[in-house]
Amino acid sequence: MSRYKKIIIKAFSSFLFVLIFSFNNTTLAADGEALFKSKCANCHKPDADYTGPALQGWKDRQPDGFIYKWVANPTTMIASDPYAKKLADKWKPIVMTAFPELKKEEVDAIMKYVDDYKPPVKQGPAGGGEAPETDNSLLYGILTLVLAVVAFILLQVNSNLRKLTDEKEGIYRGEPVPFYRNKTYLMMAILVLFGIGGYMTMNAAIGMGRMKNYQPEQPIFYSHKVHAGVNQISCLYCHGGAQDSKHANIPSVNVCMNCHMGIKEYKGEEKLVREDGRAVNGTEEIQKLYSYAGWNADTKQYNPDNNGDGIPDGARPIKWVKIHNLPDHVYFNHSQHVKVGKQQCQTCHGNIQEMPEVYQFSELSMGWCINCHRETKVDFYNKETGEGNKFYSIYEKFHNDIKEHKLDSVTVEKIGGTECQKCHY
Amino acid sequence: MKKIAIITGAIVTVAAMFTSCGSKREPGKVYMPDMAYSRAYETYAERDSTKFTADQNNKGGLIFYNAAPVAGTMKRGEELPYTLPNDTTGYKLSATVKSPLTSFTAADSAEAGRLFNINCAICHGAKAEGNGPIASSGKIGGIANLTLDSYVKMADGTMFHSITYGRNLMGSYASQLDRKQRWMLVKYIRTLQPKPTVAAAPASTDSTAATPAAPKG
Repeated sequence: MSRYKKIIIKAFSSFLFVLIFSFNNTTLAADGEALFKSKCANCHKPDADYTGPALQGWKDRQPDGFIYKWVANPTTMIASDPYAKKLADKWKPIVMTAFPELKKEEVDAIMKYVDDYKPPVKQGPAGGGEAPETDNSLLYGILTLVLAVVAFILLQVNSNLRKLTDEKEGIYRGEPVPFYRNKTYLMMAILVLFGIGGYMTMNAAIGMGRMKNYQPEQPIFYSHKVHAGVNQISCLYCHGGAQDSKHANIPSVNVCMNCHMGIKEYKGEEKLVREDGRAVNGTEEIQKLYSYAGWNADTKQYNPDNNGDGIPDGARPIKWVKIHNLPDHVYFNHSQHVKVGKQQCQTCHGNIQEMPEVYQFSELSMGWCINCHRETKVDFYNKETGEGNKFYSIYEKFHNDIKEHKLDSVTVEKIGGTECQKCHY
Repeated sequence: MKKIAIITGAIVTVAAMFTSCGSKREPGKVYMPDMAYSRAYETYAERDSTKFTADQNNKGGLIFYNAAPVAGTMKRGEELPYTLPNDTTGYKLSATVKSPLTSFTAADSAEAGRLFNINCAICHGAKAEGNGPIASSGKIGGIANLTLDSYVKMADGTMFHSITYGRNLMGSYASQLDRKQRWMLVKYIRTLQPKPTVAAAPASTDSTAATPAAPKG
């Protein structure tokens, strides 16, 4: 029995040995990949310069054994080693983070992964793509026109036939009036024109001063679709004032530079096109930003302040064109709606994250405001569960009504959201 | 009949006029300009240089208007100003600065988490592992994984200093977050980091571990 056991153990251990041995190479590479991604990938790419140099070809560039000392402690190496000094000069002011915790084998694994790395082959757009959405209104218009012409021809045919039968029966009706002098036709045409013209006039007159769909050309082609859509930057990152103040804030140039110190060219897949179809060069637009910020992309520094005005020379504010304008006699506060009312930006501004160029989505008319105030429920305080905005605990009557099931929710209108003085004072 | 035709003609002309000048690149007209446009100085409106001046010493008959807050003043309830300069010495000294926040409640943590997700997670990732959407798509390199040992050991004050003045490719967040919010973020980042292990303690004697990158000028 014990002999069998021994054999089994022997067989099993040799199997295990073979298994480990045969998988050894792949585990090493895999470890290297994981380590590379967690420790190095933030600054290094295997095949291209990034924040730090491209790592492939490292063996040919540096002295033997350099890499282990360098990874463990770059700062002391820069002080003592001539090659390290050269590296630091080339990539300053950034110095690599020290990784004293990486063992020699781990560094080997990482560098093996780097040497074996091949850039993934880019795949073409998958599938044949969906059929483009078509606008049916043109089709309907043509159909209506065709039907109108058919109706007109039939009317003419009808009158001709009647004329023939009348002649056959010997009834004299006199010369028929041509259709363009026919008073019934003329009256109908005038009425239709009156209706359409009146409708358009009223609409245009109401829309005056409301600027719906206003989409001015901005000094820099800033695509909200790229920033808020593709890159998922929160609206409040740039427009932080929306939660704290009356104004949503147009970000100052330094906020743009938070990212654009690092991103100096546009390489996105999203094609940048203006409303009128002109293509936009994203990299040139970023260059415009650098000019406004007084930033030198080559030295990666702001221009020196030689004229003593406290900002880099050449820096100036960007004159963005304000799109959403309310008349002076209306008060509107962003924080009241965003922070207290917990409204999404998109409720009023539309799908900003899909707009290459922003336009005024809503009417911003009084009727539009009032309508929303009538429909929107406030975050009413629930005395039993303690949920909701505690401010509303003072509305005794509503609390009683809710208790007696006379009321199931409280709208903005109920707490005075349609009073004149709320917005006009 | 003729009258109706004339009225219709007039209406159609007016409608054509209204719709033709509705280019969406133009702001359009308003009915009562004096009610629509403010006479007072509005936020972001350009200062009229024939009426206002930002130079207090040389007013030249103009009205002095300076948008910057008076030096030495601060908002009610705001933390005291941070005085260390944005240079190498300031960075070194920042390690000695202690957080003024005495408590960090669950509500504070939720608010700090919200701020973190808005302002920081876009690069550093929601778990501070340096893998936010901008980092993982490779648009900006060198984004710190804040859960690494060197950042666990980084002093609160140094972290605050870096958020205040920026660091390497990271810009200053002083214009987006007030001092209290920045200190709250430091506390919040601590909750995302792994607890410092005892085994890691000897490594902290290494002088370079606490300073992951050379100071910016």
